[in-house]
Amino acid sequence: MEREKLIEESIKIVGKENVLSSETDLLLYGYDASLFRGKPDCIVLPGSTEEVSKIVKFAHEAGIHVLGRGSGTNLSGGTIPTQGGIIIHFSRMNKILEIDIENQRAVVEPGVFTLALKNALARYGYVYQPDPASEKVSTFGGNFGENSGGPHCLKYGVTTNHILGAEVVLSNGEVVQVGGKSLDNPGYDLTGLLVGSEGTLGIATKLILRIMPKPEAVKTMLAIYNSLEDAGKTVSAIIGDGIVPATLEMLDKLTIKAVEESIHAGFPLDAEAVLIIELDGLKDGMERLAERIMEICKKNNVREVKAAKNEAERMQLWAGRKGAFGAIARLRPNYLVCDGTVPRTKLPEVLAKVMEVGRKYELSIANVFHAGDGNLHPLILFDERNEEELRKVHLAGSEIMKLCADAGGTISGEHGIGTEKKKEMLFVFTPQDIRAMEKVKRAFDPEDLYNPGKVLPEVEA
Amino acid sequence: MSKTDKLFPKLKEMVGEANVIQDPEKLKAYAIDGKKPKVIVSPGTIDEVSKIVAYANQQHFIVIPRGNGTKMGMGGIPKKVNIILSTNRLNRITDSDSENLTLSAESGITLSEVQDSLAKLGRGYFLPLDPPFTNQATLGGIVATNSSGPKRLLYGAARDLIIGTKAVFPNGDMVISGGKTVKNVSGYDMCKLLIGSYGTLGILCEMTFKLLPLPEKEATLSLSFGKLEEADGFVRQLRISQLIPSSIEILNSIAVENMKYPRSMPQNGNYLVTVGLEGVTESIGRQVSEMSEMGKKNGVLETMTLDSDKHRAFWIALRNFSQGLSEKYPNFIGLKSNLLISKSGEMLGNYERIARESGIECAFICHAGNGILHSYILPGKNFRSRIESFVHFIGGLTSEAVKNEGNLVVESSPLSIKKKVDVWGQSRSDYLMVRRLKGQIDPAGILNTGRFVGGI
Repeated sequence: MEREKLIEESIKIVGKENVLSSETDLLLYGYDASLFRGKPDCIVLPGSTEEVSKIVKFAHEAGIHVLGRGSGTNLSGGTIPTQGGIIIHFSRMNKILEIDIENQRAVVEPGVFTLALKNALARYGYVYQPDPASEKVSTFGGNFGENSGGPHCLKYGVTTNHILGAEVVLSNGEVVQVGGKSLDNPGYDLTGLLVGSEGTLGIATKLILRIMPKPEAVKTMLAIYNSLEDAGKTVSAIIGDGIVPATLEMLDKLTIKAVEESIHAGFPLDAEAVLIIELDGLKDGMERLAERIMEICKKNNVREVKAAKNEAERMQLWAGRKGAFGAIARLRPNYLVCDGTVPRTKLPEVLAKVMEVGRKYELSIANVFHAGDGNLHPLILFDERNEEELRKVHLAGSEIMKLCADAGGTISGEHGIGTEKKKEMLFVFTPQDIRAMEKVKRAFDPEDLYNPGKVLPEVEA
Repeated sequence: MSKTDKLFPKLKEMVGEANVIQDPEKLKAYAIDGKKPKVIVSPGTIDEVSKIVAYANQQHFIVIPRGNGTKMGMGGIPKKVNIILSTNRLNRITDSDSENLTLSAESGITLSEVQDSLAKLGRGYFLPLDPPFTNQATLGGIVATNSSGPKRLLYGAARDLIIGTKAVFPNGDMVISGGKTVKNVSGYDMCKLLIGSYGTLGILCEMTFKLLPLPEKEATLSLSFGKLEEADGFVRQLRISQLIPSSIEILNSIAVENMKYPRSMPQNGNYLVTVGLEGVTESIGRQVSEMSEMGKKNGVLETMTLDSDKHRAFWIALRNFSQGLSEKYPNFIGLKSNLLISKSGEMLGNYERIARESGIECAFICHAGNGILHSYILPGKNFRSRIESFVHFIGGLTSEAVKNEGNLVVESSPLSIKKKVDVWGQSRSDYLMVRRLKGQIDPAGILNTGRFVGGI
């Protein structure tokens, strides 16, 4: 279909003011937080499920690709329109539809920011647990598509454990309800299948979330190390001792430096690594657990353990963690975030190998990650204008994925496969596994219109 | 030689003669809803499962997976029963990694065996699932039917605990999903698709679970109330508090009387609320005292705390309620309603009223923290003459559940009832996707055909 005709049809559905198609618009919607670029044919801003359904139905009939988008914080190129088509941008569908305290559920539109819901819930003393670092702008549609994680997922599980149902527009425009406010609805767990499917199976227009009362008490500690390896060993030792804190985050020297230069979280500049350890739950016994954790830290040569004395100090520590990616962006023009995940006991060994990869390619690597989950985020720093460096970055990224896979882990813990890690899917899956996933894709989207070219690598039939 | 005659030597060649049962007398015990299988085959490896399934797919034999048979009465009436694939020999723990808090095991092992082995490991661990009949129920059956228990309130269900699966798909492919890491977004989450799929998409062969260390202390608080409003008032107050119970159950007096646990209700006691507590030692005492206060504010008649042995015996009796019941009432009908959490108590009351009006005796056990209400119809004499009224009653409860954003599934019932109701309750808009997935993955329709939603 001619691009003009496509725009014209889209305008008929959502109105002129809700279709973007200038060259600037196409450029703005052609990138996300990954290193990839693409170009859509136009951007449509629907205001209701009905409009989404109409756009999709029209695209289905015309054989046009469709891609949902929130704030574009995707880190794996999942939001890149690599094959053109319509981008459905959810900025207008941004209402919290219901906060249902009695049933411990919230119902939101896909364009709601994660933090906006959290702020609304705070008034009731309730929380939505997953906390992606980009929560200020990350949308629920994106959380749903990517199965986002965050520090508190160590204790509470990732997005999939907190989305219980959705209204979904299928690739032919049909609307179905999956899951619901009540648990155990009969049928396959389609909600569970759709969460993390990266917009390739369905587009959510409404989400039903699990919310829970805010924990009674919280205790946040900062453990400071002279060695990265000791910090890694502490993480395994805490989990091995049977303690599952709410969070167990690690930042290395380069990250600490970047954070202190921009945020001043109070991390000592001469440390090789720090851990942010948070306990939450009932106040009873929490001090005793904290002491046990401190003992474990000491056994693993900690330099010092500080506890946040009040909420302001706690927020300060978390500002350092959550602002880390942004802070690192000040060191070099670009970075590639890896997302490999390994069984927790493998952390010290894998971290050492990651640093070796950096030395091999002469690239600086900063580490800031969810250590308790075994979810690494090596950030490889570079300048994309240097082609040779860019080439090496891709090789190093792939090598890091390989070493995570070889350590019994996987290539992505929370950022998704998207465009970036397709090839590496074969590090962890056989062609048989991929073919089974292809069947799922065909069941939902036989014409391959939803976010084509993502997630699944090509394998022989 | 007929297709079936060829099947026996073929299966024997795959798994060895000793692992194929074709004696018609022995097969009788394996009939499902009166339909007898042609053969029982017990593969010893995933590779053997793969060969059997691939052959069945090619020859269009219907395969029904089976562990220890605790759930063979669940689901709709099978279209046919050709091959029963027993997972009994797939019973190994393949990776027990307490340092990483993960365990991988094959589908034919019972949950009790897994728990025993974990309890002995280091400081002691457990797999936080407490479905019915853990002594007999196998991991495969528990996961395939998404079976759960009271502690789900604190720990979640199979979907929250499984991080990896190995399953044989209808074309014989061994398909791996997830892995050994607690976080994983590589590819589609096929684990979720398989959990609760009743073996209609693949045969679960091996699963990896998240583990937890055994809690320092456990206790049970048991409170009896005269009125449902009081019991429900207590539960509501508890639910919105910051306390962290592992389970909240409401039982009516008929359930208490029929439970294999010697708990008598005080005079005028009609409802028993039991709260499970587990965690660090310091938290237990305080929660017991705060909850006891809450009980007093809501008109409790009697409050008891059960420790160690009594506590354990109580929860086993509660989980295995239907087993005890079937000894006394072999024709009992078990229903599971999934409801809005806040409606748990109110719906129990509505169900009781409908039961009273229909002259039907019913035991109710409600997982009040999760909105799951189990109803057990205790048929008196003259079952046959009352079939219509039972069917009508089930219909009444189903529409009541659907009105409140829930549904109702008949979990166990005599064949005569199954023939007259859709055991899966009210149809849903997403069944069109259920059918399309089944059509893609099992185009020949060989896996557990007829027993799942929409008759697939």
